[in-house]
Amino acid sequence: MGKYVIRRIGQMVIVLFGATLILFACLFVLPGDPVGSLGGDKARDPAVIQQLRERYGLDKPLVEQYGTYVSNLVQGDLGEDYTQRREVTEVLSPKLGNTAKLAVAAIVIDVVLGILAGLIAALFRYSFWDVLVTLLTTMAIGFPSFVIGMILQSQFAVNLGWFPLISDGSFNSLIMPAFTLAIIDAALVARLMRGTMLEVLRADYVKTAIAKGLPRRTVLLKHVMRNSIIPVVTYIGISFGGLLGGALITEAIFNWDGIGFALVTAIQQQNNPIIVGVVTYGVAVFVLLNLLVDLLYAVLDPRIRLS
Amino acid sequence: MTELTKSDQGPDAATAQSAVANNTAEPAPARITQWGEIRHRFMANRLAVVGLVLVALLFAIAAAAPLIATHDPYAQDLTNTLADPSGDHWFGTDALGRDQFSRIIYGSRIAVVVGLASIFLACLIGCVLGALSGYFGKAIDSAIMRVADIFFAFPLLIGAIVIILVMGRGVLPVIISLGVFSWATVARLLRSSILSVREMDYVTAARALGAGTSRIILRHIMPNSIAAVMSYVSFSVGTAVVAEASLSFLGIGVSPEVPEWGNMISSARDFLGVKDFLWAYPSAAIVLTVLGFVFVGDGLRDALDPKLR
Amino acid sequence: MRGAKSAKWVVGAIVVAMAATACGGGSNDSGKGGGAVFRLGITEPTAIDPVNAQESEGTLVARQLFTGLYGVNDDGTLKPLLATSSKANDKGDEWEFQVKPGTKFSNGEPVNAEAFIRGWTRGGAKASASDVGYHLDNIVGYEDLHAGKSDKLTGATAEGENTIKVKLSKPDFEFDKKTVHPVYSPVPKVAGAGDNKAFNDAPIGNGPFKMAGSWEHNKKISLVRNDDYALQKPAVEKVEFTILNPSNAATLEYKGFEKGEFDWARMPTPQLPVAKAKYDPQGEWIKFDSPGINYILTFQEDGPMKSADARKAISYAIDREAIAKGVFQGLQEPATAILPPTFKEVYKADQCTSCMKQDKAKAKEYAEKAGLKPGDTIGFGFNTGAGHEEWVQAVAKQVEDVLGVKIKLEPLPFKEALAKQQAKGTTGLWRQAWSADYPTADNFLTPLLSTSGINPDAAGKAQGDNRGRYSNPKFDELLVKARNTKDAAERTKVYQEAEKLAIDEDQAAIPTWKRTQYRLANSKKFSGLKLDFFEDPNIAEIGIK
Repeated sequence: MGKYVIRRIGQMVIVLFGATLILFACLFVLPGDPVGSLGGDKARDPAVIQQLRERYGLDKPLVEQYGTYVSNLVQGDLGEDYTQRREVTEVLSPKLGNTAKLAVAAIVIDVVLGILAGLIAALFRYSFWDVLVTLLTTMAIGFPSFVIGMILQSQFAVNLGWFPLISDGSFNSLIMPAFTLAIIDAALVARLMRGTMLEVLRADYVKTAIAKGLPRRTVLLKHVMRNSIIPVVTYIGISFGGLLGGALITEAIFNWDGIGFALVTAIQQQNNPIIVGVVTYGVAVFVLLNLLVDLLYAVLDPRIRLS
Repeated sequence: MTELTKSDQGPDAATAQSAVANNTAEPAPARITQWGEIRHRFMANRLAVVGLVLVALLFAIAAAAPLIATHDPYAQDLTNTLADPSGDHWFGTDALGRDQFSRIIYGSRIAVVVGLASIFLACLIGCVLGALSGYFGKAIDSAIMRVADIFFAFPLLIGAIVIILVMGRGVLPVIISLGVFSWATVARLLRSSILSVREMDYVTAARALGAGTSRIILRHIMPNSIAAVMSYVSFSVGTAVVAEASLSFLGIGVSPEVPEWGNMISSARDFLGVKDFLWAYPSAAIVLTVLGFVFVGDGLRDALDPKLR
Repeated sequence: MRGAKSAKWVVGAIVVAMAATACGGGSNDSGKGGGAVFRLGITEPTAIDPVNAQESEGTLVARQLFTGLYGVNDDGTLKPLLATSSKANDKGDEWEFQVKPGTKFSNGEPVNAEAFIRGWTRGGAKASASDVGYHLDNIVGYEDLHAGKSDKLTGATAEGENTIKVKLSKPDFEFDKKTVHPVYSPVPKVAGAGDNKAFNDAPIGNGPFKMAGSWEHNKKISLVRNDDYALQKPAVEKVEFTILNPSNAATLEYKGFEKGEFDWARMPTPQLPVAKAKYDPQGEWIKFDSPGINYILTFQEDGPMKSADARKAISYAIDREAIAKGVFQGLQEPATAILPPTFKEVYKADQCTSCMKQDKAKAKEYAEKAGLKPGDTIGFGFNTGAGHEEWVQAVAKQVEDVLGVKIKLEPLPFKEALAKQQAKGTTGLWRQAWSADYPTADNFLTPLLSTSGINPDAAGKAQGDNRGRYSNPKFDELLVKARNTKDAAERTKVYQEAEKLAIDEDQAAIPTWKRTQYRLANSKKFSGLKLDFFEDPNIAEIGIK
């Protein structure tokens, strides 16, 4: 067990460095000078550009820049951002917390909605309910989330006034963005749940359990649910990383000050330290979560040996 | 919209991963059956047939777009912008007075091309790497899976921007960036599927009979592992169309004059609540497309895997 | 235009006039309506400390916190704030300003000549690496200061308590107008160096308002009234800036206004007609022609836009009226000059003949003269996500239809767009906009069209703002002549002559739309609300109902 965890952490380090190295290379080939302009159309004073290039080591070769990043990272330092010139860790830490809050709320919604819908669809396969679930899940995927989010916003925040329009971090202002963010994954969880449940329902041990004359509810809860939930747990492990890094549109619509949006803004401004910071956090969280998920398997299914 | 999250990796990625951890899970001993039987099972499934009709319709519309469209999709009419749907413009006109109906009809072409080509690319990379990983295991497996992890964790947006800026804007860079960032799921899926098939009796038998590695992979393992991939793929064709919309939303998709569903929706966003038909029709087109491919995918999976009947 | 105020569009070009003195009536009710809070949404500024305040959001906050020598009236004329007098010598290279005596920063330090020079020195110092420091670059000693060779701005000296003497490297009879930029603000001793983070986030100034706590990044900036303010005290007691994300700010501002959470708002362009119908009758709709211009940049060193005739052909081919009506729904007006109408003294309509009306015959005639053939491809670049997608497509289509050429749209994210514009060898067209730093014609013509505005580096990259690389010695001479002309009316004439040469005869740029701004303002609670010269609400001047 301990060995397994250590090996996984070793893998995590490899993935972290692989991803950031590719990222550095990407940022390096992007056309445009990260410190070449002010916020917009105006070119910067060439003397200031030169000064900033020196300050951020932008005149150094790629390998050297990456080396600096790694040695700073080891000391927990992610550098200084190019526009406001604040510490990246200071800029990102409140955002990271906000996005985590949003992502956790979204996952709770995913799990509850997705599992329920998938359960119903699987138990009543090819019935009206099954088709309805398929229709709704497809619509959730087919409608862009900014459309869903903006409709929710104008209905519930502006017209009905149930929720605050501009998020202030409170629970009340969390509901709409979390729901918007959750919809797609809830749909995917529902489909996943339906699929695996259909498989499990057909498994020999379930047939045996039913043949033994166990009550339907017991069979469903003890055997079917428990075994169907494993892929869902895996999927959530994968999607959480995505949620953290990709909540950008939801965050933009609801003015949620998270890292997804920070990433997009940073990309537009070529504010590289922020991009690198977000990716560093994102990859670390992604890999850690997947480790947790794998450990969780062992709890859910004793047959699985960690090796 | 998939928000450029990894959520478009599809649910089956999870099945794959659980199987990774769960090497002792029951294998799926699906024998490749006669095509006739598969077809029979597929056609018996009502939803699958509905899906097939939708997909066929999409292809027909894409092929016959010039015949169906009522207007030139590029023609502007600045005296008739943002017109509500009418007898002349069935789906109304956009901010430049272009006929929405015709643009949606022509948009099906890009939807088909982007959807299919990006998934094809993802499958190509994913299948090759997944098969290598699953069949050989050990160091090769470990290396390929680490690379897959990197691609899972890496933000699609940045990769896409780099690809699009280096190649220039257009349909091809969009296809490549979507493909390059979804192969990892296919690879994992196939790998785990192969892991469970690899030790089956008929594979051992083939090996004993002296069949070469590539022959074993192509003839014996792939056909039996492909069911899971098929279902993911059919689902992803739809999500690829939506992901293309996200790229347009962020200003790095195809050029704005191109009639493309994602483009149309993203330029309609500021008209929300004022001119809702601008996003409603293209969204409906995407939903129908996704629906068609999902039904077909489900039907295919069920037909290929008789255990699930 | 959608998102017009976002940093992407207007850019750091906005200087803010200190709008502290209320000249109009109705604002003598300070103290009354106690606790009146003015609430509005802005995007996260780069800086609110005048040392680096640059885009409109940053300068809006900075000018509430700091008051300098001059502000600007709506018509572009100067409005004295802390300056009681100013005079230039006959050559225009020496200036003397008298500062209103006896005023204080909110921490009690005196606002005297020395405080001003301290602020200017801080703006130019190397350690500050200020993006707006270049506004000081005509003052003697700036270069050494900026290069870190000196820690003094030798050209600016204090004489006695309240006299500032300034020596300029080049004559400039409009130097007083430059001092409206926040980088010319006075700062107290506690400000320290330009990179003093504590002061950057909670500046102490002498403006109509002062900080209530520190800047909460990405969340909020709160100000309270400065009761020791040297000029007319504002009626508003508190100002709350809620920070919104740029990609959705206009929508959130609009919805927030509808919901009663904001007293001031922009709107997304498509919502303008609906908003106008609703709020105009209630007197909550504000229209303002701001000192900016939208135009099409033409790359003149090479490619299809090399000849003036080709540029005229493009300009004649555009039906500005139809786009204004069809795409902008009548809310933007065609421009026929490169200088904005807000500069009342120097503005002259119809300076650009080809802009006045679409003329297909003339367009074809000029195209033929220029050798532009049907089927030729012309690139047309624009930055994405800033609301230009529609009108750019409309222009492209009109040009294609009239001239039979192929316009290839090149949408690029902002930074990449800029790199492409600056690069040597770029050809074709580019959508562009400019907004004034100070109320002078020179601030348009020199950076955008003069040879010195190109400023190429060793690799030929244009480092200045004249990225089309228009260069005409005759035009440059006119600008020098104008700068050396002491008489204002005479100077205006020279500028108009220069504009005519560049925009009409040479068609160096193709003006498209004026920069018209619309806002919603809560006139139920406040009186006298309007957009000031720099497109900001006149918070310090308004009254309370």
